Amino acid sequence: MKSKLKVYRAMHDLTQEQLAEKLEVTRQTIIAIEADKYLPSLSLAFKMANLFKVNIEDIFKYQGDDNEY
Amino acid sequence: MVVMNRKKYKQLRVIVALFVGAIVGLAVVRDSYLLSIAGVLTGMVFMVLVRSTAKIRTDERELTIQEKAARMTYAIFAPTIGMAAFFLLLPSKGGFSVFSKGEWLYIESLGMIFAYLTLFLIALYAISYHFFSRRLGGGGNEE
Repeated sequence: MKSKLKVYRAMHDLTQEQLAEKLEVTRQTIIAIEADKYLPSLSLAFKMANLFKVNIEDIFKYQGDDNEY
Repeated sequence: MVVMNRKKYKQLRVIVALFVGAIVGLAVVRDSYLLSIAGVLTGMVFMVLVRSTAKIRTDERELTIQEKAARMTYAIFAPTIGMAAFFLLLPSKGGFSVFSKGEWLYIESLGMIFAYLTLFLIALYAISYHFFSRRLGGGGNEE
């Protein structure tokens, strides 16, 4: 799974800490998602999509290799 | 309800643990069982109150890490302790003279403890697996 979270965060001028606060997660989670090291849950992905007012597919691109998470 | 993040909760837990540790230390110095029991109970009651009155915000990544760590702990601990039990019980069943004399009886006892511990661990895993499987919608016959 490839994440474009960093791009959307930059577009909305948010810091990792601010985004983490809005999504009710830790900054480490944001860092891990941006680095494609952690695949978020469906509810967190929806939260992100709602926050940025886009679809989940706009933020995450499926590449068929998510079994390693 | 007060919302508390996991970091603050952990800090609070450390403070309470230090407090309980200090009280127990004092109780040991003063040789007072009552004081140590009171200290531990106070700490437990305080943590129960915190958990019931404050909403602790848990991070999903942290939960995933905990799940993976628990799985790995089980995968390592259960076979290790099972093998240890096997090797500790093996000589006593082999009829070696030194064991038959009962001089190494404690090894057999330790083997028995490890064996029951392994069984308990596997049983607990099976029960919790069954419980979560049902809770997460598995095991039903609905179509």
